[in-house]
Amino acid sequence: MELIITSAEDMEKLGRKLASVLKEGDVAYLIGELGAGKTTLVRGIAKGLGYEGKVTSPTFTLMNIYEGIMPVFHFDFYRLDEDADFEDLGLDDYVGKGGVTLIEWPRLQSGFLPAEALFINIEILDGDYDRGRKVRFTAKGEKYRQKIKELKEIAASGN
Amino acid sequence: MPKEIRILGIETSCDETAASIVKNGKEIMSNVVNSQIRVHQQFGGVVPEVASRKHIQNIVMVVHTAFAEAGMSYDDIDAVAVTNRPGLIGALLVGVSFAKSFAYALNKPLIAVNHLYGHIYANFLEHDNIEFPLVCLVVSGGHTSLLFMQDIENYEVIGETLDDAAGEAFDKVARFLGLGYPGGPAVERAAEKGVKGRYQLPRVFLDRDDFDFSFSGLKTAAMNLWTKMERRGEANVYDMAAEFQAALVEVLAVKTARAAEKYKARSILLAGGVAANSELRRAAQIEADRLGIKLYYPSLKLCTDNAAMIAGSAYHKFINGQFASLDLNAYATMSML
Repeated sequence: MELIITSAEDMEKLGRKLASVLKEGDVAYLIGELGAGKTTLVRGIAKGLGYEGKVTSPTFTLMNIYEGIMPVFHFDFYRLDEDADFEDLGLDDYVGKGGVTLIEWPRLQSGFLPAEALFINIEILDGDYDRGRKVRFTAKGEKYRQKIKELKEIAASGN
Repeated sequence: MPKEIRILGIETSCDETAASIVKNGKEIMSNVVNSQIRVHQQFGGVVPEVASRKHIQNIVMVVHTAFAEAGMSYDDIDAVAVTNRPGLIGALLVGVSFAKSFAYALNKPLIAVNHLYGHIYANFLEHDNIEFPLVCLVVSGGHTSLLFMQDIENYEVIGETLDDAAGEAFDKVARFLGLGYPGGPAVERAAEKGVKGRYQLPRVFLDRDDFDFSFSGLKTAAMNLWTKMERRGEANVYDMAAEFQAALVEVLAVKTARAAEKYKARSILLAGGVAANSELRRAAQIEADRLGIKLYYPSLKLCTDNAAMIAGSAYHKFINGQFASLDLNAYATMSML
């Protein structure tokens, strides 16, 4: 599933829609260049899950937790590389458990994170930051394929 | 109560493992920081391992060195202070667990310190007679907050970043421009060879009358402009660094000055790693001079994460008997400052 998003506001709206199909234990990876809008999408998801506080970049702290109707674990591994010791981060305590896990810069080659997840690629159209963003959803695992179907329906109904 | 209070401070809230002993909240007996910056540089700004294990490996050696450099034995200290928020939870827990065990074994009181308060306090380690009330800009890789302080014990956050911290924006833009790591000093060096104003970047939130910041948009604007200039073959990395630094610094300095005016501050303080930026110091000095008030900032060594600021800031809590119990926990978030 692909969408063209033309403003930060619309990116947040997309996040809110996405929130409505996310359940406890779900994992989504956000992939895209700096400035693509990954944190903006997370902000929308967190708001959609009832969180009213600030959503800031977790680049430095590696993780933020937002307490809404269910916790959102917002990770950012920008500062890490594939060889980083992910085990020491205590990811096990969060990923796939008791909340929604959203990971920017997931460093998937590390092999430490769950293979089954929702993959969200955000591409800066023509490499021009003033232009829109192409947001592409792909799934690994039946559960996530189903979520993309649900999301399609919500997007089509315009709610 | 002994006349001289010596406090051991421990700081593990992010990448640095640090320990320090400070006497009477003022005199630094030792200040040991196990920095990983050199390791980071080898990896082009990518942290190979920021996890808690590094802290576990380092902490005993760092604390031992702090005692050795101070020429003191364990029993010579009066309390153990530790950063317990905000930061990376696994990293914080190493320091908190160590401090609890150490305090328990020595039968000394334990004191919990907020990392941001520690940064502010770095100024009080080095400067006498700082006048209250004051506003303090805490600006680093992980934080961008404006605080109002009525006195040494009472303070509140009056503004903060809504997205990226200023230091994070420096790091990301520096990497994007191929300037290296850490980004703050790299951009500053490049900016010295360039001219601000040749490119135009936005002064984000300067039109708002609150004290919040936003640097994510500035980061994106810089990358956008750079990409376009490169395509046209007109890219000059020095001019870009100069303009980016100017845009960021102007917002920080002007908003801090506005806060100082509104709160009738008699001093402005800078704290945190980005307070080492000489352009920020210069701009803040101009604002302070205009308002006729004093500007303070710590020496470079006390701008970045260290434990002297933790040991020092615990002094007032010691005097007031504000001790933590041995079930002290660590918290990732700022709240309950």
